[in-house]
Amino acid sequence: MTLSYYPGCSLKGTAREYDWSILWVAHKLGLELCELPDWNCCGASSAHMTNHDLSGQLSARNLHLAQQSGRDVVVPCPACFSRLRAADQNPAAQAGERLAPVQILSLTTLLNRAEVLDGIRAAVVTPLTGLRVACYYGCLSMRPPLLTGAINHEHPQGLDTLVKAVGGSPMRWSHKTECCSGSLGMTRPDIARSLIGDILGAVRRGGATAVVTDCPMCQANLEARQLDPKSAVPKSERLPVFYMTELIALALGRPQKRKYWRKHLVDPRAVLSALGQVPETGAEP
Amino acid sequence: MNNDSIDHDNRRIADALGSPRAPSLKKTDKPDPDFKPPTGAVLVVGGGIAGMQSSLDLANAGFKVYLIEALTAIGGRMAQIDKTFPTNDCSMCIMSPKLVDVGRHKNIEILTSTEVEALDGAVGHFTAKLRTAPRFVKIDACTGCGECAAVCPVSLSDAHNLDMTDRRAIFRKYAQAIPGAFAVDKQGESPCRFGCPANVNCHAYVRLIAAGRFAEALAVERRENPFPAICGRICPHPCETECTRGGLDAPVAIGALKRFLADWERQNPDQAPPLPEIKNRPEKVAIVGGGPAGLTAARELRLQGFGVTVFEALPHLGGMLRYGIPDYRLPPEELDHEIKTAVLDLGVELRTSTRVGTDVTVAELRDQGFGAFLLCLGAHVGLKLNIPGEAETTSGIVDAAAFLRDVNAGVETHPGKRVFVVGGGNVAMDAARTSLRLGAKEVTVLYRRAREQMPANPWEIEEAEEEEINFRLLCNPVRILHKDGKLTAIECIKMELGEPDASGRRRPVPVEGSEFRLEADTLIPAISQKPELDPLTSDVDQMINKWGTLEVDQVTLQTATPDIFAAGDAVSGPATAVEAIQAGKRAAESISRYLKKQDLRADRTPRRGQRAERSVQGVTVSDRLKMRRLSAAERRDNFTEFELGYTEAEAVAEATRCLDCATCCECLACETACQAGAVFHADATGTRDIEVGSVVLAPGFEPFPAGLRPELGYGHYANVVTSLEFERLLSASGPTEGHVRRPSDGTTPVRVAWIQCVGSRDHSCHRDYCSSVCCMYASKEALIAKEHDVNIEPTIFYIDMRAFGKGFDDYVARAENDYGVRYIRSMVSRVIEDPVTDNLEIRYTTPHGERTSEEFDLVVLSVGVQISEQVKQMAQRLDVDLDDFGFAQTDTFTPLATNRQGVFVCGAFGGPKDIPETVSEASGAAGAAACHLASARSTLTTAEVFPEPRAMAEDEDLNIGVFVCHCGINIAAVVDVEGVAAYAKELPGVSYANNVLYACSQDNQEKMREIIAEKGLNRVVVASCSPRTHEPLFQQTLQQAGLNKYLFDMANIRDQCSWVHRTDNQRATGKAKRLLRMAVAKVSRAEPLEEREFPVDSGLLVIGGGLAGLTAALQAAEQGFAVYLVERETQLGGNLRHLRRTTDGEDVTAFLRSLIEAVNADPRIRVYTGSEVVAQTGYVGNFETEIMTPAGDSRRIHHGAVLLATGGHEARPALHGLDTDDRVCTQLDFEQRLADEPDLGQQAPHVVMLQCAGSRDEHQPYCSRVCCNQAIKNALALVERFPDAQVDILYRDIRSYGLGELQYQKARRAGIHFTRYDPETNAPVIDRAGKRLKITLTDPSLRWPVELEPDLLVLSTGMAPHENEELGTLLRVPRAENGFFIEAHAKLRPVDFASDGQYLAGIVHGPKSIPETISQASAAVARAATILSSPKLCLTGVVSTVDPEHCAVCLTCVRACPYNVPRINEEHTAEINPALCQGCGICAAECPANTITLGHFTDQQLTAKLDAMEDKP
Repeated sequence: MTLSYYPGCSLKGTAREYDWSILWVAHKLGLELCELPDWNCCGASSAHMTNHDLSGQLSARNLHLAQQSGRDVVVPCPACFSRLRAADQNPAAQAGERLAPVQILSLTTLLNRAEVLDGIRAAVVTPLTGLRVACYYGCLSMRPPLLTGAINHEHPQGLDTLVKAVGGSPMRWSHKTECCSGSLGMTRPDIARSLIGDILGAVRRGGATAVVTDCPMCQANLEARQLDPKSAVPKSERLPVFYMTELIALALGRPQKRKYWRKHLVDPRAVLSALGQVPETGAEP
Repeated sequence: MNNDSIDHDNRRIADALGSPRAPSLKKTDKPDPDFKPPTGAVLVVGGGIAGMQSSLDLANAGFKVYLIEALTAIGGRMAQIDKTFPTNDCSMCIMSPKLVDVGRHKNIEILTSTEVEALDGAVGHFTAKLRTAPRFVKIDACTGCGECAAVCPVSLSDAHNLDMTDRRAIFRKYAQAIPGAFAVDKQGESPCRFGCPANVNCHAYVRLIAAGRFAEALAVERRENPFPAICGRICPHPCETECTRGGLDAPVAIGALKRFLADWERQNPDQAPPLPEIKNRPEKVAIVGGGPAGLTAARELRLQGFGVTVFEALPHLGGMLRYGIPDYRLPPEELDHEIKTAVLDLGVELRTSTRVGTDVTVAELRDQGFGAFLLCLGAHVGLKLNIPGEAETTSGIVDAAAFLRDVNAGVETHPGKRVFVVGGGNVAMDAARTSLRLGAKEVTVLYRRAREQMPANPWEIEEAEEEEINFRLLCNPVRILHKDGKLTAIECIKMELGEPDASGRRRPVPVEGSEFRLEADTLIPAISQKPELDPLTSDVDQMINKWGTLEVDQVTLQTATPDIFAAGDAVSGPATAVEAIQAGKRAAESISRYLKKQDLRADRTPRRGQRAERSVQGVTVSDRLKMRRLSAAERRDNFTEFELGYTEAEAVAEATRCLDCATCCECLACETACQAGAVFHADATGTRDIEVGSVVLAPGFEPFPAGLRPELGYGHYANVVTSLEFERLLSASGPTEGHVRRPSDGTTPVRVAWIQCVGSRDHSCHRDYCSSVCCMYASKEALIAKEHDVNIEPTIFYIDMRAFGKGFDDYVARAENDYGVRYIRSMVSRVIEDPVTDNLEIRYTTPHGERTSEEFDLVVLSVGVQISEQVKQMAQRLDVDLDDFGFAQTDTFTPLATNRQGVFVCGAFGGPKDIPETVSEASGAAGAAACHLASARSTLTTAEVFPEPRAMAEDEDLNIGVFVCHCGINIAAVVDVEGVAAYAKELPGVSYANNVLYACSQDNQEKMREIIAEKGLNRVVVASCSPRTHEPLFQQTLQQAGLNKYLFDMANIRDQCSWVHRTDNQRATGKAKRLLRMAVAKVSRAEPLEEREFPVDSGLLVIGGGLAGLTAALQAAEQGFAVYLVERETQLGGNLRHLRRTTDGEDVTAFLRSLIEAVNADPRIRVYTGSEVVAQTGYVGNFETEIMTPAGDSRRIHHGAVLLATGGHEARPALHGLDTDDRVCTQLDFEQRLADEPDLGQQAPHVVMLQCAGSRDEHQPYCSRVCCNQAIKNALALVERFPDAQVDILYRDIRSYGLGELQYQKARRAGIHFTRYDPETNAPVIDRAGKRLKITLTDPSLRWPVELEPDLLVLSTGMAPHENEELGTLLRVPRAENGFFIEAHAKLRPVDFASDGQYLAGIVHGPKSIPETISQASAAVARAATILSSPKLCLTGVVSTVDPEHCAVCLTCVRACPYNVPRINEEHTAEINPALCQGCGICAAECPANTITLGHFTDQQLTAKLDAMEDKP
């Protein structure tokens, strides 16, 4: 299966490990991801806040590139995903010649396709048995459902299914789609602290030792907030936040390197060694 | 008004009345020459409370009724509800007598599992096409004993209990269901059965194994397949390929389970079935070939009594099973055992080592008397490779069939070290694995395609691989190398896959130049086999086709020679054993028919149900249980069977994985268990056309699917339930037997929250309407929960408290004040579950605007009502228009009429509503439906005739029968009913006593009737519930049994015993015995009483000429009754005269004018305006009323029934300057000004409307129901006229119930301000001192004070009844404190008075809207019609009689009687007219001379009863 790949800015910056793990997993599963040539900003943050038309047109251009490629495009970052979908559903934003439509897929949707999921199950070499994890979806990959096409936007299952597929046990909880305060992280840290406190409190209450998400903003926000001096969590109680593809990669036997996990603000090695997944030396992908 | 609009309105009235043509209102019309009398029958669609009420009213008014119900029993949603508001009656208890009334009514034909397919024709002459789904149980034959369900192995979730409990595939919807017959839930045939060539019912035997019923499972298996031990081992089980579980995890191991059954029987020989009895027949059949086809046919034919001889060329029976299949797969002792028990033990003769054709010929056998031959020769000849060198090689090449045959026959065989097998099928695997076991060191399978294309079963390939057989794929032998005829090597060529061939597989193509050699000791071609037909040539020459197999008729398996049939591999080519079995059965059937000289071809296609499709959604993944087997090392050098079978526990566990795709598995256990022969699995869909004059649609509602509001967690959180589920949790017949328990852990919840408006008033999920009932049922559920368990702390989260019905506000106040139900006005947007405790957190905003969070143990979602897709589709088929939400489209003035003339609607289908309104509409629809059928009344009905009561001998001994009812667990959970019944047997005079689960169920009533007749009982006592609800039912049973109905008594051991003494079983049982003893004592003194018949006057007196009175008058006249319409005022019209427009914009004035014209024009209606009723005497059917006319004359009117419709008026309290300040007016004033004054003085008026002005307070302590809608209507009218106008509506709760919510929504969109106030904490302050009105209050949504300066203050003052106390006294009907009249029963008799023949409609009953008034008027007429249409009625025997001898003429009785019945007659003694006497007994109690006796309650009876009260040892 060959798809277009739109990484967006996060995956080239703060969430590089997301990008790496996606590409490694895709390769392992025989999914060919072709990065869209000459892609640009999706217009999610600054443009969206300052110039609505521009933000729409930025995504429209990306969409146009995807259509030119003629392949369905997978968009790991939910903010980019949301903008691309919005552009897709707003013909006014799309200028120029009309091309055949392509599907805009979130990463979790792609990984949940029956054939991909079967591939993951078949390729597991070190199942993550004993890993109790909270699957956290955040807002943008689910809402608004008419835009995202999410089937069960209040109680999504995509990440849970994937965690189960690699042998982990997803915990049952109600905060899957609560707001992580991503957009208020800088401006209103007080609100962010309270919302994140709620979410992480619920994770601990449910007995999970880690969180898994598919959103780079959520990941950054959830981990960073635990280091916030005003709400600092003792080191031993910090909850690492994984990208789903990182966990899949682990189960599929990706060689690990000590350096890799330094990308995480909350060191996940304690959790991993408890699973018997001791980070070892090895080649970076 | 022009003529067009008059005609239009006439048409509207005609619709409202249900009359066929508007001109029928104009009496000048000439009779229509084409007039065809209408059909005197009505189709009622839907068996809920609405359908039942409509049916009863119609049937009692002389029409034949077809009541159709889509489910298996009538009763509808009311059967699922626990209690009803505001009376807290048990829903089932109050409905049960109605159920039985409908069930036993001679003129109501109930058709369950039935839907209307189409409705042709027009009003008066409809033809309805009905389709009835099969029930599989004959309703008339079923006794409801439940033996069938006890043996049913299939467990399904019970929809009646909303899937919270299980029921069987054969079931009764609920215990009191009507019809009481069971029904089978069958969804076609399970996929596994479709897979089996022999049509074996795999589903049934798997399900029976899961139930541990192995012997029965075997019997099911043997119905189609006599060889479970064989097929359990070697069948490739195509059934498993079809298994639905395959799409989820892995198919159920059906094959292994079959094997288990055979093993189990071998281990438990005592469980083997006895040999069947066989009736011998003279005809003889010769079966040639003892393989599976021949043996199956032999068995089948023998079972039918034919003489059967099997001729087998080889020394032993079994054919390929013995000579083709290696012993490690099928041990010979298993084969022998099965052949012996299944075939030989039946008396089949055997001639082995006899080759027909050589040892004996067919012709000779014919001479020996064999009448038919079945050739089952098999295909034992292996095909050659046909490659160079093969023919010359004389040793080292052996075809697989011959090889296996030799090995199996015990011929010593040494294949050498290197063995090659050519082929990819199962035979190749067998040959390879056998070679290995014979000592070959290296066994290789050569196959020309890839592994995916190998035809062998995948597990056979895997097993071979485990045993280290080599596979050389994509390789084909092309030449054999030999030395002196002895094989030395094989030359092969590599292959690659090309284009797909005809079989769809990719064709193997040789790779040029890729030849290579393999050194070999033995080569075993296993490419295919063909039959060996040579010896038979003389007989079958012409039968061989170009494939080398036998040519037969595909259906009958008959060859060209009529007495010769053929089956098995010799016909089909090599096939599986199960296919051979199928062929054997088919051949046996043909031969049997041939010998019996029957048609060979008739009905040969087996009946197949539809393939059941079951979703695997939500099914838990579970692994298939692998059968234990020997390891490869243990098995590869011997022929011991390597599969070891299941243990019992393993088999049960594996069988439990079955998903019951078709629900019913057709094991037929129920058919066997049913003593009555009622179960009937061959039942099929039936269609029927019926002729009816009109149609009443009452299909009801379904609850909103709570999953559409996912944020509330329904379906995800265990402890979030819907309100209907909570009803079941409260119900004694529910899953927790009335104990409220949390679904997650079964504990008793303490903190319980209700969330209102789930699927109501919600634009986001397209349920914009208000569901009307939820506020009240939530309050009721909270209150009842509290009654069940005092520790429960209920909280209700709501938007507006819509307690708009009669007595509802009081009820809510009671819930709040007496029961501590907490009401929080806040919309809950989200529920959060605690993963540890399963508790639920609700975050909400307090009325003060603070955000807060609270934890609850259980959350109940008050789900709204909606119309199901099924009902919407029906409406479409019937051309009935629906609104956006699926509710039937009706108009204000025609609330019960659909767009299709003659088709009426009632209940929730017309919009959400509660039970009383539904019942009222049901009667109303019955009335409307009857209007145009009046001329056909009693043309299609039959009368209820009771047998002549049996004459009792003077000195007949007491012969009392006692029936003690369990009432499910209502009584039995507290009282030891068996003990009470046993005790009853000891009581004097009691000759029969027994306990019954539900005494009131139809089947038990039938039994009671039989027992009375059979035992010759002369007195009956039922110990159960209340005589108030059930006495008439039991008395009717007595009448049917030919016993005077007064020889009966009831002991109320439920309401007065088990319900009130829940905690003390022992003493409750003691009390039940005492109550019963008292009833027996009383009935012992009972005497038969006579019921007198009297004629009925068919006139109706209507008191009140408003909307209700006018509508009723017209309708009664239309139904053919004389009507006397009395109106106090000088003109007709009542309140309608003050109204201008309806909510939907209709012109009220024009409507009223046409209504009055129609009344005045109807010669059957006598109108008395300006007149008043001054006196009334008489009784039901024979009233005499005196009225005073304006001239001061008195008139006497004779009539059979009375309808009270005196209405009410808008209240006019001296409040806020009303009538003193011209800036203040009422809603009616405002409506008139709006209509009558072209401008209200300016273009942008500011109007403030104050709701509940002088309402819902201490002066007028009820809600007037209409004011909110009226305010919204007027506000909208204002802003439509003056777009710049500003309207503020100050309200307490906006009660725009039902579809009125849409207007409320529209008003908010139109910019009308709604500001809530609270009379206690935030009452608006109205300052009228200044030039401008000034109103201040705090806006709770802004939490900020607002100041309004309107031009006009409009007061919504509510409605009050007219002064009617005198009238109430005069008519002897009860009034409530607030002046409205009290109906007989708030729930189920909303338009009846308690005394017979008196009815009420309109505002006199309580405030109501125009459509509600019209339906109620129609309902009252329909109820009255049940009296007026009967030529005569019966008087009750329970009346007081005066023995004049001792009468002292003291006048005590005259004064005491509340009904003014006793009078002093000419003989100067007191006299009581039995027709007037209400049987209350006050006179009898008061009479100082003790000379008045009340029938059925005589002193002797009561004294005996009291004497029996004391406990005696």
